[in-house]
Amino acid sequence: MQDSLETSLRIAASGLQAQSARLRVVSQNIANAQSTGSTPGSDPYTRQTVSFESELDRTLGANLVQVKSIGVDPSPFKLQHDPGNPAADENGMVKMPNVDVLMELADMREANRSYEANLQVAKQSADMMNTTISLMKDA
Amino acid sequence: MQAPSRRIDRNPPSKNGVPLSSIYLFEVASQKSQWLSARQTAIADNVANATTPGYRAVDIQPFSAVLDSSPIKLATTNPAHLSLPQSEPGALGETEADPTEQTLSGNTVNLEQQMINLGDVNRDYSMSANIRRAFHQLILAALK
Repeated sequence: MQDSLETSLRIAASGLQAQSARLRVVSQNIANAQSTGSTPGSDPYTRQTVSFESELDRTLGANLVQVKSIGVDPSPFKLQHDPGNPAADENGMVKMPNVDVLMELADMREANRSYEANLQVAKQSADMMNTTISLMKDA
Repeated sequence: MQAPSRRIDRNPPSKNGVPLSSIYLFEVASQKSQWLSARQTAIADNVANATTPGYRAVDIQPFSAVLDSSPIKLATTNPAHLSLPQSEPGALGETEADPTEQTLSGNTVNLEQQMINLGDVNRDYSMSANIRRAFHQLILAALK
C-alpha cells in the first residue's frame, strides 16, 4: 500500500497528462480547420476526437485516467463553393473539414478547467505533505 | 506524571476500543490524518476522471464511522505472534458519492463539489497537524 498522498499526486499527474492530450487534439483540429484536400473531390482533414477511460493501477490501488482512443468525427464535411480551389470538384464545390471552431474552443475551455482542477489537487497534496514534515521542524 | 511514557505506546491498551487516556489524542489525530489522506486520494480520483464516460464519483466513509469501528485485536502473548494488520487508509471503504448530477455519458463527478471537498480536506489536515503540534509542545513543556 502506497502512501495515500503520493497516490493522489500520481492520480492528479495522470489527469494532467490526459488533459494535455485533449488540448493537443483540440489544437490540431483548430489548426486544420481550413485544410482541404489537394486533388479534385478529395476528402479534407477529418476532425479528431479524444475519449478517456478510467484505469485501475494495481500497484497504487487507484483509478488513474488515460486516453482510451483518439478517433475521428464521422459527421459530414461542409461543402463550400470555391471553383479556384485545387480540391474543387466539377461543380466547383470544395469539401471543407467538419471542424466547428466554436465547439473546439468550448472543448479547450473544459480541458483548461479540468487541468486547473488537477493542478489544484496536486498542489494541495504537496502542501499536506509539507504540513506533516513541518511538524518535525520546531519539535 | 506518566504521560510521556504512555505517549510512546503507539497502541494504547483498549479494552473495548475506547481508551480513556487523554494522550489518546495522538492516536485520533493520526487516524484523522490517515483518513484525510485517503479522502484526498478519492478526490484526486474523481477530479482526474471528471470527463471519463461512465465514471461514478466516489467518496469514503465519514470519519465518525472509522472512529466507531474499533479494530479487533488478537491477543499477543508471545513476541513471535503476529497481530492483525493495522487498518490502512485504502481500507477505509470507498462508497459511491451522492450523484448530484449525471452527464449524458454517465459521469457523476461534480467538479465544483470536488473543489469544495478539497478545501475541507486542506483545512482539516492543517488543523489536525496543528493540534498535534500544540499537544506535543504541551508534553515537552511538562518534561522540561
